[in-house]
Amino acid sequence: MSSNNVYVIASSMVRVSRYFSKSYKDLVIDVVNELTSSVGSIDIDYLIVSNVFSDSILEQLDISTILAQELGLTPKPTLRVETGESSGLTAITQGYSLIKSGIADTVLVVGVEKCSEFPTPTMNKHFIKFLDYEVESIYGLSIVNEVSLLMKMYMRKYGYGRDDLSSWSVKMHSNALKNPYAQLRFLITKEQVVRSQVVSDPIRLLDMYPVGDGASAVLLSNRGDIVNNEVLEIVEIAQATSQPLNLREDLLSLPATKTVFNKLLSKSKLDLNDVIIEVHDSYSILGYLIIEELGLVERGRAPSIIDDLDNVNLSGGLKARGHPIGATGVYQVAEVFKIMTTGLGDIRRDSCWGLIHNMSAVDNNSVGVLVRRCSC
Amino acid sequence: MGRGLPVGIVGWGAYIPRYRIKILEIASLWGFDPQLVKSLNIEEKAVANVDEDATTMGWYAARSAITRAGIDVSEVGAIFVGTESKPYAVKPSATIIADALNLPNKKLASDLEFACRAAGEAIRISLGLVSSGMVKYSLVVGSDTAQANPGDVLELTAASGAAAYVIGPKESSVAYFEGYYTYISDTPDFWRRDGSPYPLHGEIFTDEPAYFTHIVNAVKGLMREYSLKPEDFDYVVFHQPNGRFPLKVGLELGFTEAKILPGLLNPWVGNTYNAAALLGLARVLEESKPGQRILLATFGSGAGSDAFSLVVTDEVKSKVDKAVKVTDMLMNKVYIDYGRYVKFRKLLVRV
Amino acid sequence: MRLSIPRFWRKRFDYYSVRISECLDCGRRFYPRRSVCPYCRSRNVRVIPSKGIGEVLTYTISYYRLEGYEEVIPKIIALIKLVEGPVLIGELVDVDISEVREGLKVEAVLRRLKSEDPAGLIYYGIKFRPTVG
Repeated sequence: MSSNNVYVIASSMVRVSRYFSKSYKDLVIDVVNELTSSVGSIDIDYLIVSNVFSDSILEQLDISTILAQELGLTPKPTLRVETGESSGLTAITQGYSLIKSGIADTVLVVGVEKCSEFPTPTMNKHFIKFLDYEVESIYGLSIVNEVSLLMKMYMRKYGYGRDDLSSWSVKMHSNALKNPYAQLRFLITKEQVVRSQVVSDPIRLLDMYPVGDGASAVLLSNRGDIVNNEVLEIVEIAQATSQPLNLREDLLSLPATKTVFNKLLSKSKLDLNDVIIEVHDSYSILGYLIIEELGLVERGRAPSIIDDLDNVNLSGGLKARGHPIGATGVYQVAEVFKIMTTGLGDIRRDSCWGLIHNMSAVDNNSVGVLVRRCSC
Repeated sequence: MGRGLPVGIVGWGAYIPRYRIKILEIASLWGFDPQLVKSLNIEEKAVANVDEDATTMGWYAARSAITRAGIDVSEVGAIFVGTESKPYAVKPSATIIADALNLPNKKLASDLEFACRAAGEAIRISLGLVSSGMVKYSLVVGSDTAQANPGDVLELTAASGAAAYVIGPKESSVAYFEGYYTYISDTPDFWRRDGSPYPLHGEIFTDEPAYFTHIVNAVKGLMREYSLKPEDFDYVVFHQPNGRFPLKVGLELGFTEAKILPGLLNPWVGNTYNAAALLGLARVLEESKPGQRILLATFGSGAGSDAFSLVVTDEVKSKVDKAVKVTDMLMNKVYIDYGRYVKFRKLLVRV
Repeated sequence: MRLSIPRFWRKRFDYYSVRISECLDCGRRFYPRRSVCPYCRSRNVRVIPSKGIGEVLTYTISYYRLEGYEEVIPKIIALIKLVEGPVLIGELVDVDISEVREGLKVEAVLRRLKSEDPAGLIYYGIKFRPTVG
């Protein structure tokens, strides 16, 4: 086993939004410029790009090479990562692997996505590609449809009314108010959630992530001392896959996520209340299920602890910070880094641990990263 | 009586879409007098859903037919789809239905066109194929999502539906073919040019020179050749472009209303083109008794008519409930308005 | 040309009727057809035809706008348990929103799935409608 440690030494991001005037190249240049202006010039050995819709929307393959050209990083090697909605965090794990194995000393991980290039019905057509085309999406079945079945089953099993499940979105918007990079920075009420447009009954528009563009960069290195600020060490990574929803024994469990959490927490005894946590709440019902799977609360009781939740999705989560698909996982790491070191806007915590969770579709695959502040 | 063929109907199936629109609603939108609707003896018509077509409807009817036949599909040696609303102008619906039903690769298959009587022609062809021993069973499907120019009188009756028949050896049949007679001439009463979404027709010309002439000649030819009289028949089922013509031609030929009504579905289903007479026959089979004699007379514009004489056997009773019945489908209905009708029938241009 | 010819053609029997798998080692039955059992990883899996009859376990009314599928909105998606055991997710047709309920008995029917209009292929596949009679 290599003795290389892997540190998150810097991060940058743009506000998640619709950037009609900026291309994916523009957004990446923006975040890389911000990175280099904060840490100075650092020799990068590898560029990893997380971008899901490169050929679906951008008519571009080998996008990591194109970006290397654009950024003047040639002749350094690159690769693009795609594992559906969890591409961003997978990209981080791949960067970790390159450093851990000694192949690279410093890796730049960039996540970028341009969901505003086409109107929503067209984008929705691409969003369903995370399901099995030959079995699910060819029938016009969407992720939101599958999640809505889960929501109904959850409500039925635990006796919740529609209104009881609106607290997650309200909390996310409240958190996002303090995050200058969040897409949606306005408060909402439970009534507004329930009265928003029906997407797939019982899921309403304000139960799910908004569509937006984003770019975020994270610098990984085997040395924590080459920057002036505090750094985090990646202590554990985990990835898992699971079978589709209709084949699961318990449709309300998230098997891949559970495997990931078990691995992340297997070696470190942590009080989860002291951990800065970012989870993949693409839909509010998934937010509840994820924190139940994490063990923050017993099964079926998540809605009751949301109002007091003080350490989960401080960024606003996918619901309010946004979900620029391939970039999301990188945003999550960037946010946890800032929250635990230099501050994400005014959000700053002294916690020693950070836990990031990124997932695709209805837990088709799940990725997790555990970080520890080095000064702890 | 006449010659009997060693061929009969071994199984039958029907499909009527769930949705209905009231004829008066269409009439009122386009300025047709309600008296006209009354005179045509039409009440409502069946409308295919937006994701249905002649192939999907034909599949459903064919599956019921095979279920009732109780045969091994590997013994089906031919499949014919009579339709004038083919989803593909070139590419048979027959092969899609065949593969969907796991019919063997070794077979005959084709879509036939002769306006509303193509499926009737397929029955004629099947008589030859089965009685010659060339195939054991032949599957005949009549299926249409009938087209009509919006606002034209034809729109008051053009409907969607399908029926299917497994033709096979007399021994296992629910009704065997006692006789047949087909009468055809070049009579352009109704047609649709290639590329045209809707047909044109000769209005009153479609009555006497077309519908009546051909059916009368076919039926009289049949009765003459097989020495049959109207009184010999218990049921008579005609092609039914509206609810009035079958009664008119039937009475003209000497049949009583009581023999015509059981097979007359048009007032409740509309004109399902290739399925029209065949759905009527299915309904009749479902209430018939062994030994009864049925006259089936198809009609297709262009023009031609097939007349068949069928004698019901003891096998019929045990097969009626093996698949969905016409009466069940007649009752399984939901009404839609003209707006939904336009959406279902794709009458709007969308980009 | 957007809809592939061979891609649908080679799997057409899986689209034209409900075919389920049965693992000869662990005995589990599942949909869709797989070469490897998702439960025990055995390759000893065989295909069995399903009657296509099942019941609705739960359902959703979807207003999700997908390019290419705008004709059928709202759409009813249901979790369906086949009589043979496997659970699948399918679209319900020919049924009003007020008629859908848990426990509704449904049957598989062949319908148009998608088509590249006006000149391209039509894909046909299975949807579910309430049983009749």
